[in-house]
Amino acid sequence: MKLKSLVALFLFIAVGLSNAQMKEIEFEEYDLDNGMHVILYQDNTTPIVTVSVQYHVGSKNEKADRTGFAHFFEHLMFEGSEYIERGKYFDIVQRNGGTLNAFTSFDQTYYYETLPSNQLELALWLESERMLHLKIDSTGVETQRKVVKEERSQRYDNQPYGSWQEEMFKRAFTKHPYNWTPIGSAQYIDEAKISEFMDFYKMYYNPNNAVLTVAGDIDKAESKKMIEEYFGDIKNNDVEIVRPDVVEPAKTEEVRHVVYDNIQLPGVIMGYSIPAQGTDDYYALSMLNTLLATGQSSRMYKELVDNSQTAVSAGSFPIALEDPGLIVIFGIANMGVEIDNLEAAIQKEIDKVKNEMISDKEFEKLRNQTESSYVSNFFSVSGIAQNLAQYHTFFGDANLINTEIERYMDVTKEDIQRVAQEYLKDTNRVVLHYLPKSAEAN
Amino acid sequence: MNKRFLSLLMLLIITAPLFAQVDRSKMPGPGPAPEIKIGDYKSFELENGLKVFVVENDNLPRISIQLTLDRDPIFEGENVGYINAAGQLMRTGTANKTKDQLDEAIDFIGASLSTSSTGVFASGLSKQTEKIMELMSEVVLTPNFTQDELDKIKKQMISGIQSQKDDPNAIMGNVRPALIYGKDHPYGELMTEENVESITLEMCNEYYKNYFRPNIGFMAIVGDIDFDDAKDLVEDYFGSWVKAEVPTNEVKASRAPLIRKVALVDRSSSVQSIVDVAYPVKLEIGSDDAIVASLLNMIFGGSFSGRLNLNLREDKGYTYGARSSLSPDEYIADFSASTSVRNAVTDSTVDQILEEMKKIRTEGVTQDELSAAQKLLTGSFGRSLEQPQTVANFAINIARYGLDKDYYKNYLKRLNSVTVEEVNKAAKKFIKPNNAFVIVVGNADEVAEGLKKFSVSGKLDYYDNFANEVDPAAKALPAGVTIESVIDNYINAIGGRDAVSKVNDLTMEMKGTVQGMEVTVKISRKAPNKYYFNLDVGGGMMTQIQKFDGEEALMSGMGQNKNLEGDDLESMKTSSIVNAFLDFASYGITPELVGMETVAGKNAYKVVLNLPNGKKSTEYYDTETGFKVKEIQVTSSPQGDQTISVEYSDYKEVDGVMYAHTIAQQVGPMNINMTVSNIEVNKGLEDALFEVE
Repeated sequence: MKLKSLVALFLFIAVGLSNAQMKEIEFEEYDLDNGMHVILYQDNTTPIVTVSVQYHVGSKNEKADRTGFAHFFEHLMFEGSEYIERGKYFDIVQRNGGTLNAFTSFDQTYYYETLPSNQLELALWLESERMLHLKIDSTGVETQRKVVKEERSQRYDNQPYGSWQEEMFKRAFTKHPYNWTPIGSAQYIDEAKISEFMDFYKMYYNPNNAVLTVAGDIDKAESKKMIEEYFGDIKNNDVEIVRPDVVEPAKTEEVRHVVYDNIQLPGVIMGYSIPAQGTDDYYALSMLNTLLATGQSSRMYKELVDNSQTAVSAGSFPIALEDPGLIVIFGIANMGVEIDNLEAAIQKEIDKVKNEMISDKEFEKLRNQTESSYVSNFFSVSGIAQNLAQYHTFFGDANLINTEIERYMDVTKEDIQRVAQEYLKDTNRVVLHYLPKSAEAN
Repeated sequence: MNKRFLSLLMLLIITAPLFAQVDRSKMPGPGPAPEIKIGDYKSFELENGLKVFVVENDNLPRISIQLTLDRDPIFEGENVGYINAAGQLMRTGTANKTKDQLDEAIDFIGASLSTSSTGVFASGLSKQTEKIMELMSEVVLTPNFTQDELDKIKKQMISGIQSQKDDPNAIMGNVRPALIYGKDHPYGELMTEENVESITLEMCNEYYKNYFRPNIGFMAIVGDIDFDDAKDLVEDYFGSWVKAEVPTNEVKASRAPLIRKVALVDRSSSVQSIVDVAYPVKLEIGSDDAIVASLLNMIFGGSFSGRLNLNLREDKGYTYGARSSLSPDEYIADFSASTSVRNAVTDSTVDQILEEMKKIRTEGVTQDELSAAQKLLTGSFGRSLEQPQTVANFAINIARYGLDKDYYKNYLKRLNSVTVEEVNKAAKKFIKPNNAFVIVVGNADEVAEGLKKFSVSGKLDYYDNFANEVDPAAKALPAGVTIESVIDNYINAIGGRDAVSKVNDLTMEMKGTVQGMEVTVKISRKAPNKYYFNLDVGGGMMTQIQKFDGEEALMSGMGQNKNLEGDDLESMKTSSIVNAFLDFASYGITPELVGMETVAGKNAYKVVLNLPNGKKSTEYYDTETGFKVKEIQVTSSPQGDQTISVEYSDYKEVDGVMYAHTIAQQVGPMNINMTVSNIEVNKGLEDALFEVE
């Protein structure tokens, strides 16, 4: 009794301290009248500025016969615009002391530049140019077709276990467009006509589908003026934005598949369907993930890698998605370990969470780990910019950057056991076995 | 809050038209340049020699502590991996804590702590600073290495080596340093399973005892902490660390190859080749050359906008990305230009890389390119200062490499004063297209031929995953294949045991040309081992006959008769057996499956027949069709041993058994291609045909 209250007290202090010590991220947000959302965050510590544009379009907005389209379009966005010569986008940013990149996921396409803070206007010009004036011609399309095929080869086809995401998602999602992954299929890009790229641009790269974030060493008033100058006159096309409304039906039986790959060590990869990011259960599942896989004392690492040495690596990660997604639990076998023994060892850990209540001490550890890793959201202005945009678009509340930790702290150990029981069911999963190609012949 | 912005928004809407239209056709210029300030640090040294650098930064409630040991590189020789193992063992327990307890203690406070052979890094929330410092001290001062934990690490290492066998990047990561530095160099040696097996606990303990010493240590403490607190903590927790003299090592120089070489690692499943053009260079940290070289590299291929990427990705579409690197190193640095490309453009890629190298050497760079590179590096220097860790790293570098105390303060000034002439001079010094290794990990069948032209000697050097030179034809056998399965497959492929057993005699006629003359060959065989051979060149110009009646052999031609004796006769006895493969053992022949090689572009099992006379002959069986595709025999001749190689193809059925109808024979430099024109089976050949008088 006394011990318990001591733990509770300690808990309270831990949370209290973290909230007291963390500097609040103060930001402003507003909409331009063309519908574009703007977020400003000022931090004058280092003389740099990050400008990012997030378009609320990802592979889930693609048609089934045009997979890979959103990602391919991301490549086209670097090709040039009315006033930016083809191939000069990178060059302009770099020769003005900046860095830049972009990524495409299931749910979003995100572009950013970080430049010396006296180049804010340049960054706004660059991003506004490609939102307003993108040039799509056959030279660019042809070159990027080849580049994207090489990207696919390098990152997926030529890598051990590189196909897992594709193999998993096509089985875990049978109706929902998460069925395919952002890299998509090269064949469909080859079939796409220039006019399709233009239509895609008109719909998804419309200002009302974009969030502009300006973060770092800025003056807010001056920034707002420049933002209006460069983005204010971008016309709202008023095309209705198509978003998938398919609800993936609940699974009723386990799906199993064997993939023969160029690998030496067998691997087990299991994907369980879970609710979308931002839901209460998602936070509980995220804490469950920490229990299984964060740190060397985590259950899967401790049991599979350290104690039994069944696996060379083992762990789990939730895939945070706008629509209901997956938590992936995996293991790569140590040499000489049969794949079925590996799967049984993983299953044992899953069953343990379902059947046994977590101790107070272990739960306390999870909370401390969660708090500690939460701070990593704030490491750089570019990281803060990305978080602000995502919180706004997917959660409808950019201020979650300051308050989301409370949602994690609201999770109880009973919640963790409950979500384990509810979602980590055999009937709710896809199990992939990765085996060496030599095993296929026998 | 939102309401305020609503009104602001209204204001914006109303005032928007009043803003001057921007001229989009012009790229906006920069505002006044902000000052790039390098943050402050404070430092002190403990009596035991540990040098400590503190950067106070309260932006986040976090703390990080990094300990770096500055020792010479060590050549591990037969025990490669023991230093790595010692580094990992540091994290597996202390005098007071088992590994489980240590893991629990670190995770419980949400911290992380990792170790290597040259340091320890820990971080976490700043409210846990003292606890983190205490754990780190425990790990560094009182580690406890156990056999159990070492065995685990060794097992993991071996699994790691196994899993790398299929990872093309890991293969390149092994082979590249082994080639450019040499396997006898600390940077070039690589770890095999045998090396790992040989690692002992004593070696690891010895390493710890020798090298984990405060007098070669640099500690960076960065985050939400006061200098005085940091100093007290370090004194409390690291003050008792005992200093000692640390062994030093001479590091051997590595040289670029005198001529360009092409090294190929065959990975038959590859859909892309990894290409790396690389060689060692001398380029010291903090040297005058280092800054000029960094600009040179940036222009050549150090970024997306480098010449390499613009050529190979943006112009040609060969790759997702191509980059080069040329970074200084205290001992020996290297140049590298690398990319991943589809198989079909592998040689074109190498060609373009070498051309770009030649071009920058001969034509140099432009002022425009140089200015762009200067801006890029200025920008990246400025951005790096966002992380307080950078300031600590600068301070440690100054102390560790003996740099001028204002090296980083003056860095931007120096960077921006570099001239085109300096870069061009550096290009001639550091870019060496003719003294490079061209290293490719890829599908040899598809890419080898095109790569030969880049090798000055005209030949490709083949390596395995561990940078051992290998015979390009040799390949690893798939699991489950045995000598029995190969021979059985062959028998089944040509018609099955029953059909083959029924062959009692056989006559085969072949035609071909040798040096423009028509050649006709007739061979007859009769069970068990009678043999007749008739060769006619140029329609009676030259005739040669061989006979073997089971006991004696005769060779006649050009008016001479010669009875075979000794080895030659013994060989004849076995080679004349009709269908010996049906039961090798009964003829005293021991077949042995020794590997897999490529014959005429296809995989074939290599079988060595150990003959009763102690000689060997080699046969190859296609892995897919099962047919025998090649045979190699070594015969003695007055000129010394002579290798005869025969390739078989175009198998066709005659009376239920498949026979090769194209036979290509190579003796020394001479090639004879024969086509089978007629085969007759079981015609009841008379013994008289084979008789030797």
